[in-house]
Amino acid sequence: MNRFTLLSLYRSLVRHKLHAALNIGGLAVGIAVFLILGLYVRFETSYETWLPDHDKTYVVQTVWTMPDSPINGAFAYTMGGLLDQMREDFPGTVGTRINGGDRAGTILADGRATRVDAAQVDPSFFSVFPLPLVAGDHATALAQPGNVAIDQKTARAFFGTRDPIGQTLVVSMDKVRSYRVSAVFRDLPKNTDFKLSVLMPIAQESKSENWYHWGSMALATYLRFDTPAAARAFEDKLTAFVDRRGKELDDSGDRPSKIQHLQLLPLTDLHLEPQGSDSGTAKLTVVTLGLVGVLTLLIAVVNYVNLATARAGLRAREVAMRKVLGADRGVLVRQFLSEAVLTVAIAALFGLILAELGLPLVNAAGGLSLTISYGIVVPALAVLAVVVGVLAGVYPAILLSRFPAAAVLASARSPGGGRAGTRVREALVIGQFGLAIAFMIGTAVLVAQTRHVRSTDLGFQRQSLLVLTSTVDPAVPTDRKPSILTAIRALPQVQDATIANAAIGGSGEANNTNVPLPGVAGSGPSLTWVLVSPRFFETHGARLLAGRWFDDAHQLDDSTDRKSADGMNIVINRRALTPLRFRTAQEAIGKTVGGSRPRTIIGVVDDLRFDTPRNPVPPTYYIYQRRPETIETSVTTIRVSGDPRTALKSLAGLWQRMVPQVPFTAQTADERLADFYEADDRATRLFGIGAGLAVLIGCVGLWGLASFNTARRTREIGIRKTLGASSSDIVKLLVGQFLRPVLLANLVAWPLAFLAMRTWLAGFEDAVPLSPLFFVGASVVAVAVAVLTVLGQSLRASRAAPAWALRHD
Amino acid sequence: MIRLENIQRRYVSDEVETTALHDIDLHVESGEFVAIMGPSGCGKSTLLNTLGTVDRPTGGKYLFGDRDLAAMGESDLAKFRGSTLGFVFQSFNLIDELTIEENVALGLAYRGDAGDRKGRVAAAMDKVGIAHRARHFPHQLSGGQQQRAAIARAIVGDPKLILADEPTGNLDTANGEQVMNILMGLNAEGATIVMVTHSPAHADMAKRRIDMLDGRIVANAMRAM
Repeated sequence: MNRFTLLSLYRSLVRHKLHAALNIGGLAVGIAVFLILGLYVRFETSYETWLPDHDKTYVVQTVWTMPDSPINGAFAYTMGGLLDQMREDFPGTVGTRINGGDRAGTILADGRATRVDAAQVDPSFFSVFPLPLVAGDHATALAQPGNVAIDQKTARAFFGTRDPIGQTLVVSMDKVRSYRVSAVFRDLPKNTDFKLSVLMPIAQESKSENWYHWGSMALATYLRFDTPAAARAFEDKLTAFVDRRGKELDDSGDRPSKIQHLQLLPLTDLHLEPQGSDSGTAKLTVVTLGLVGVLTLLIAVVNYVNLATARAGLRAREVAMRKVLGADRGVLVRQFLSEAVLTVAIAALFGLILAELGLPLVNAAGGLSLTISYGIVVPALAVLAVVVGVLAGVYPAILLSRFPAAAVLASARSPGGGRAGTRVREALVIGQFGLAIAFMIGTAVLVAQTRHVRSTDLGFQRQSLLVLTSTVDPAVPTDRKPSILTAIRALPQVQDATIANAAIGGSGEANNTNVPLPGVAGSGPSLTWVLVSPRFFETHGARLLAGRWFDDAHQLDDSTDRKSADGMNIVINRRALTPLRFRTAQEAIGKTVGGSRPRTIIGVVDDLRFDTPRNPVPPTYYIYQRRPETIETSVTTIRVSGDPRTALKSLAGLWQRMVPQVPFTAQTADERLADFYEADDRATRLFGIGAGLAVLIGCVGLWGLASFNTARRTREIGIRKTLGASSSDIVKLLVGQFLRPVLLANLVAWPLAFLAMRTWLAGFEDAVPLSPLFFVGASVVAVAVAVLTVLGQSLRASRAAPAWALRHD
Repeated sequence: MIRLENIQRRYVSDEVETTALHDIDLHVESGEFVAIMGPSGCGKSTLLNTLGTVDRPTGGKYLFGDRDLAAMGESDLAKFRGSTLGFVFQSFNLIDELTIEENVALGLAYRGDAGDRKGRVAAAMDKVGIAHRARHFPHQLSGGQQQRAAIARAIVGDPKLILADEPTGNLDTANGEQVMNILMGLNAEGATIVMVTHSPAHADMAKRRIDMLDGRIVANAMRAM
């Protein structure tokens, strides 16, 4: 590159301001989208990579493969005592358990209870998770049962500027205990799924009765291996281990590993790995948004190539003159490539500025906290500028350098790349608009589905419902629960209140059991069971399909203190009818299922959807316990009248008076459900932004191309007008020319969008149909946008006086 | 057939005002072959463009038959051109992306009457001896062939008036002669032709010669038969 290259590039940009703005602006927007979505993908795939030795750490997954079970799939939880049994069978196993985490404990200080991310872990925790310490020592931090390690945030909050080491901290998890602070670790970064700020050794007495119960999934077990080969070798031994140790999983004498086995998942894969039967949404979202970023950049590059080749013809005379003055093809190719790289570099700079300006908006829309780290981004952009510059510049460069000098100089006209050039440009427009239309269809489907999910029937009246999870806290004395419930019911805004071990938003327990059917061999279908107390269905506003609700007049309804062999009354949900082999709700009433543990169906309730809309409502039966305090995991659901916010306030006041030692945690049903929608909403918003910008860039490209093309065809327009073409003939001609590739683009867009959206919708239990309207609608919008884009210029061209147009070259 | 009265054409740019035509009065009768001569910049092409309604006079009256063209709107003028006029240019002005046949057919495209287009296009190409090149693109033809194609396009619609702007200007002598012979043949068959030319020999082949200088007609003489 020499001085003249720079000078001619500068002058060309200044002289053709519009062209420069379109070219650089379009590319800058493309680079900004690519950059932001790249940051997002990088963030999502960087989970746990901050942890020293993260590549040596694996989480043990419990994989369920039970016939007809709603909970099949891999879960990152195991039974509590798994690590103990592994250590017995495989001496030298290095691992730790993490029990708790996200707001699982409470710190009691100065008469105040503060919810914290507390977890019980093995003393060996730091040898698997060597978190950077700011005080204390990895080896001894959790060696004593009374030790606690806390993060800097907790240290600041409770000890201020005092040295936290040696201080006492009262923590309530399953019990209230005093601990001595032995270590302070650095606050965990944002790219982690671990919620850990208070770490205590697992106490002997907190090992529950189910600690060695195969089939339970109480906590997470992590193992450390020095090499992937060692991890694989260990994994290979796990089937035999399950068969040996987990005999209680299957009493039929079959191999236990047939219904449950264990596998190792690299820690860094955990974030995007779906749990159980969840669909792989997280992974799909990351891949999709990454793809949107790459494709948007591609559209922008295509734009650049398109505009550059289109304009190439206008530079033919310059090329010819340079050839006459002695430039060979190599020199010219190098010149145009340098120009392209330089232009892309300028665009990259603007893209960086745009990304920096747009990041707060994207963070707000996506609920993210992405930042640009210049140490990585600037070199990456430099590489991008060279790669994209060369990719985008090579075709125009070769095209330009091929123009024959003599012919160009002799002719009054400029070559425009000929018919081949026109065809290449048309193909590029088809590709570009194909992607843009596919994006539009995708956005429409995403928006329709997220709307549909929000308005779908949940089986209960979600308005004016509050969920109080504080009652689950073990620090709430069991014998006080009835009086708390009574006091809640006595509040003026409260209409009804109930306790159960399941609630809207998925709080509580998930328990499954097989229900043998009369006259049918085998253990029967697996059903979820839920413990409910008085007025559960009434509080939720559930719909009774047949039979009756539980009531205290029927003695058999109450299963408190009843032995399972004595039989009990149950209410089943609609979804349970099929696995229990009933054709109608009415048919189920009065029937008894359950084999040696007889359960008589007294009512059928319409499905209550408490969990994510992506998963099907499991077949469920409800067990009644007249005394709410007997339900151990007791979530309270409250129906209020009037503004739920006011009710929340008076509820908080009541809680503070009655149970000050436990933090008050309550939300409206809508707030709790919002969590399920958030990931999809976020993906929809980010996708929408990406798609919108992709369409914008496409239009900018089309506009640029139209303006070039109109200029190139000015003379032809003159000829046609001279021959009697009216203005509307000319507009039709020019618009039609651009409509063709845009219409053809649908052939690219439709199958692409159909396949992508069918895959995405498959992740929902209740999905909107993939209506042709999405496709036709997006195409109509694309055609309208394309027509509007080129219409202005076509109108102007059509009005030009033919005599002027004929003089134009 | 044509009456120009006090036709003026002024071009106004940012700072300069140029008068290309000063008070032109001109009558052309049906069946005439008029040649316009004069040095470059004298206003020949402007006059021709004005006759062809592709340029609008800034003053004066233009009557074609009994129609006042100065009073007509753009879309009516477009219809008028399509149905009444045929154009031949120095640089042929064929459309690169269309074949010769398609270029010729373009002369009928904007007329509205659909009767036997194919036959008329074939006949027009035949008349100028270009039928064997029907499927070729303009850049595949010699200059003389391109100009003959342009003439075919001009005559395909049986125009009342053919306007030729230096039709031989870009051609060698032999090809120029050929083109002139075609034009004379057309005139013999009754076509009215107004031609701008730099060639005195070709001007002499016309029935009437008009000389222009600085936007004015300085001589207007019938050729001695």
